Amino acid sequence: MRRNLQLWALSLAGLAVVVFYPHLFGIYYTNFFVKFAIFALYAVSLNLLLGYMGVLSFGHAIFFGTGAYATALALTHISGLPLIPALFVGGLSGGLLATILSPLLVRVSGTAFAMLTLAFGQLLFVFALKFRNITGGEDGIGGFPIPSLNIPGIVSIDMLDQRNFYYFAITVIMISIWAMWFYTKTPFGSLIVGIRDNENRVDYMGFRLPQTKAVNLIVSGTFAGTAGGLYALFQNLVSTVGILDIHTSLYPIMMAYIGGIGNFFGPILGSAILHILEDVTFRFTERVDLITGLVFILVVMFAPSGVAGILSGIRERYVSGAAGQPAMEDEI
Amino acid sequence: MSPTTVLYISQGIHGFAYGMLLFLLASGLTMIFGMMGILNIAHASFFMLSAYLSYTIAHLTNNFWLGLLIAPVITAICGAMVERFLLRKVHGRGHLAELLVTVGIMMVILEGVKAGWGTESLVVKIPPSLSGLIRIGGLSYPVYRIFIIVLALAVFGVMGAVLYRTRLGMVVRAAVSDPDMVNALGINTSLLFMGVFAFGTWLAGVAGAAAGPLLTVFPGMADQMGMDAFVVVVVGGLGSLPGAFIVALFLGELNAYGIQFLPRLAPVLMFVFMALVLSFKPKGLFGERE
Repeated sequence: MRRNLQLWALSLAGLAVVVFYPHLFGIYYTNFFVKFAIFALYAVSLNLLLGYMGVLSFGHAIFFGTGAYATALALTHISGLPLIPALFVGGLSGGLLATILSPLLVRVSGTAFAMLTLAFGQLLFVFALKFRNITGGEDGIGGFPIPSLNIPGIVSIDMLDQRNFYYFAITVIMISIWAMWFYTKTPFGSLIVGIRDNENRVDYMGFRLPQTKAVNLIVSGTFAGTAGGLYALFQNLVSTVGILDIHTSLYPIMMAYIGGIGNFFGPILGSAILHILEDVTFRFTERVDLITGLVFILVVMFAPSGVAGILSGIRERYVSGAAGQPAMEDEI
Repeated sequence: MSPTTVLYISQGIHGFAYGMLLFLLASGLTMIFGMMGILNIAHASFFMLSAYLSYTIAHLTNNFWLGLLIAPVITAICGAMVERFLLRKVHGRGHLAELLVTVGIMMVILEGVKAGWGTESLVVKIPPSLSGLIRIGGLSYPVYRIFIIVLALAVFGVMGAVLYRTRLGMVVRAAVSDPDMVNALGINTSLLFMGVFAFGTWLAGVAGAAAGPLLTVFPGMADQMGMDAFVVVVVGGLGSLPGAFIVALFLGELNAYGIQFLPRLAPVLMFVFMALVLSFKPKGLFGERE
């Protein structure tokens, strides 16, 4: 009961910070927070595969990028498309792509899965570069209209105002992350963890392995696509660099690992750490990824359960009665 | 000969030269993969690092050959250090941990090179003995590309001889097919792994130093070649040297003629081909291990 109360108080405090954040910090840090939150959503969706199912998606940018391009293309070509459907187009096309690729992806695991996703990532990257009449090639698609959030007869909120967009984006992201959290707590979510721990046993228990894996892939792709759609709305520009290139696939992996892949909230923590680290290092040097890469190597080598793992280790040790997270082996 | 025939033949030799360069890069990658199971994402970064090193050496000493000789050795030493102090520590935790370490190394090398040499393209001068054109039949062709072909064939020959004719090669081949068994037979596989990793990065280094004058030296040079080498290794079969040779040649020609006939689709076709091979034959066309 006491623990429950603490949890509620903590959530309320967190919510208060999120609500008042844009008024406390300037526009620069408001946008900083939106970017952090979008990547947190993206990294959590990747962790559904990496932490929960135990496969490393090395080309997760295909889902993120597809979502971003789909939202941008829909807004460019369909005049008067409202905001929420535009975002849905992004999320659904991420899911659709995952559906199309799933027959191939569920066949493999381990390094082969990483290689296959890397291959699809590069394939889509080259596609986006070469078919410039659709995607705009290197220049990308920019300047598409950002619709206002309209509830007919009640309210119309201008999304070009960055503070309004902050509230919209944070709401969408919180709902999405909550949905994923709920998803991992369902019996189906436990089944996914079962596949990670012992694929054969799940198979022998009579569950349909390929279909189960495919559903998880589709869920992950849908939320990555949603993150991409939000990113397109946020930037009002999609181009291959920063949306479909290999670095966009690497960032969520680094976030998930640095935060801790054994914990649902680890990737969110990782996204925060990486964004703050980037912001700080950028004041000293232009070569931000040098520091990021070094930190990443150190985490993989010495703290495979990430910062969340370290924190829960400390908690287990010094706070009596605190139930620690089950230790997660990164043997995949 | 008619001008069109000349064009086709010179495109063919272009593709041959690129394919050979690709083979130099991919052979190191395939050996590292086949033996240690590490998908070395940083392999092409070593290639780029060596190109920069050879540029600097050639610039300082005014001698291209010194760059070609020393830069790959420095790169190989870097590779050996990476294996000894980073990869070996995570070896027991499975291949994905190793893969992630190489991702970090890739970022560090890329950013380090940008910090050290800047981001603009650097031009390596071709030495006078290799510049100019050579006349083969009725067709004139740059000597430097012929030099790359000869260099790669020589490396292929020596490597093949060592791998298939010596005791060391036998141990290496055995370790490719079953490292645990080789370890159980009393061979120091740790040392062997370090040696193979260093040799693999040396090959990448040779490719990088040789590619400098051809492609110019710039931070993005790892991207294109790296992906192509990756395709070669996957399609050719992980750990298969002949597979890498054949597929590298094929890809070089595909590249050369593809640019001529299907400028848009050539790179896409390459990845579609690889995705299909990976999905239905994860071992690759000539490979034995998954």
